[in-house]
Amino acid sequence: MNDTWTERLSEYIDGTLAEAERGALEAHLAGCAACRTTLDELRRVVARARALDDRPPAADLWPAIAEQIGVSSGAHHVVSLAERRTRRRVAFTVPQLAAAAALLLLLGSGGAYLALHRPPLTGAGAIAQRGPAADLTTSPVGWVQKTSSRYDAAVAELEGALEQGRASGRLDSATVRVLTQSLVTIDSAIVQARRALAADPGSAYLNQHLADTMRRKLELLRRASALAPART
Amino acid sequence: MLLNIAAVITLAVTQQTDTTVPVRPGMRLDVDNFGGEIVVKAWNQNSVRVQATHSSRDRIDVQVGASTVSLKAESRRGLAQMVEYQISAPAWMNLNLHGVSTDIEVDGAQGAVTAETVNGEVKCRGGSGQVSLKSVQGAVKLQNAKGHIDVYSVSDGLTLENVSGDISAETVSGDISLEGIESASVEVSTVSGDVTYEGSIKDGSHYRFATHNGDVTVAIPDKANVTVSVATFNGDFDSSFPVSVTNTTKHRFTFTIGSGNARLELETFNGDIRLRRPGQLHDKHHDQEDN
Repeated sequence: MNDTWTERLSEYIDGTLAEAERGALEAHLAGCAACRTTLDELRRVVARARALDDRPPAADLWPAIAEQIGVSSGAHHVVSLAERRTRRRVAFTVPQLAAAAALLLLLGSGGAYLALHRPPLTGAGAIAQRGPAADLTTSPVGWVQKTSSRYDAAVAELEGALEQGRASGRLDSATVRVLTQSLVTIDSAIVQARRALAADPGSAYLNQHLADTMRRKLELLRRASALAPART
Repeated sequence: MLLNIAAVITLAVTQQTDTTVPVRPGMRLDVDNFGGEIVVKAWNQNSVRVQATHSSRDRIDVQVGASTVSLKAESRRGLAQMVEYQISAPAWMNLNLHGVSTDIEVDGAQGAVTAETVNGEVKCRGGSGQVSLKSVQGAVKLQNAKGHIDVYSVSDGLTLENVSGDISAETVSGDISLEGIESASVEVSTVSGDVTYEGSIKDGSHYRFATHNGDVTVAIPDKANVTVSVATFNGDFDSSFPVSVTNTTKHRFTFTIGSGNARLELETFNGDIRLRRPGQLHDKHHDQEDN
């Protein structure tokens, strides 16, 4: 499904379409089941995103997702409470929303498992509560395999967004080359980790390492697809 | 000869802009540049001086708002291409610097610093509060900063020296080096590169150093109280001081130093993990013994 209105659904949800465009889109929606379905999915994603009150602005869903699936988003700053409480606008491209949707679906299965089973990583308080003898080896086993198809879908969507950036000239060829090489580096690491895990599926370290490396790939793709259109 | 002619022509069409605007405490400096460089040096005056070298077709737009001073180049024909900014700004001023094919350098800042570029190096001496430095293609180096530190690169290394506060450092391809660190929370990861750390290991704190292809070397202070988790798939572990392993699973083991109050996670898929004492981080003697 991809028609001329697909890319406008995000603006429609945001309420930023001009009145005439809004009317035209609603007329289109009346006759297009595919767009209605997409719109419903996007609304669910937006509702889920908005429900995450203590999260950074929705222009970047990843920190919330990373936190919920129990991995560190690493490169994201801690926002102030006031900043957190600021109501977010949601202005994604459809590929981004689709990727976010895939990731939010991921939360429902393996991610939830991980969130429930992995001990919190940060915070002195958490360490004190768990004590020095806490088991540092606890980790989910097998969630990666359970969720790999959704992960693949999310990666594919973000890769599509990256390709759009390249095709539209927003990303120059040198940058695309560097990003591609970096993705190859990560993919190589993922392949190695998968092979190791296949031979030793019970290894908590390998499960966690694979999850972390996959998260790195998503993070890089997200950053790459979000690289600013340099010239406006 | 052709190069000389091109250089002369280039010189003939370059132009200098030099302007100074007054600022008030609390204001932020925003700079948006496509190509060239942004150099910001702190001075002790409540004004911002902008010296820019650019094409005569371009002009530097200096906007002074209620809370910001914004700089960007505008072109009379097409898009502005290359601008080299040399900026003097009050040390207290928060900096928000963005470039595309731009090197960014900050010296002496005492406020928050955000510096992001796609293709170029980022170097920052100073900064406090939120300090966020990012480059896709370029090394990132931070010195003498404190606060919430966030450094990121895709294809190059990260270096942090004499930095305090919560630290997050991440790259895909490149080494990550942290020395002179004072922190209760450090999260460091690279996919392809070595990781080295020398700094505080504070009670109740958390430190995580991870790589896929590379070695992890950490200096443990003599009186540290830390529970150490070591994980490697294809690699060795070496410590320059004795440790007693208490918990072992496949690919991972744990041991405690002192009361074990802090938590240290060391992980590499293909590489060695080394523990050293402060001052031994670059000691070849111990590394040769490993081989």
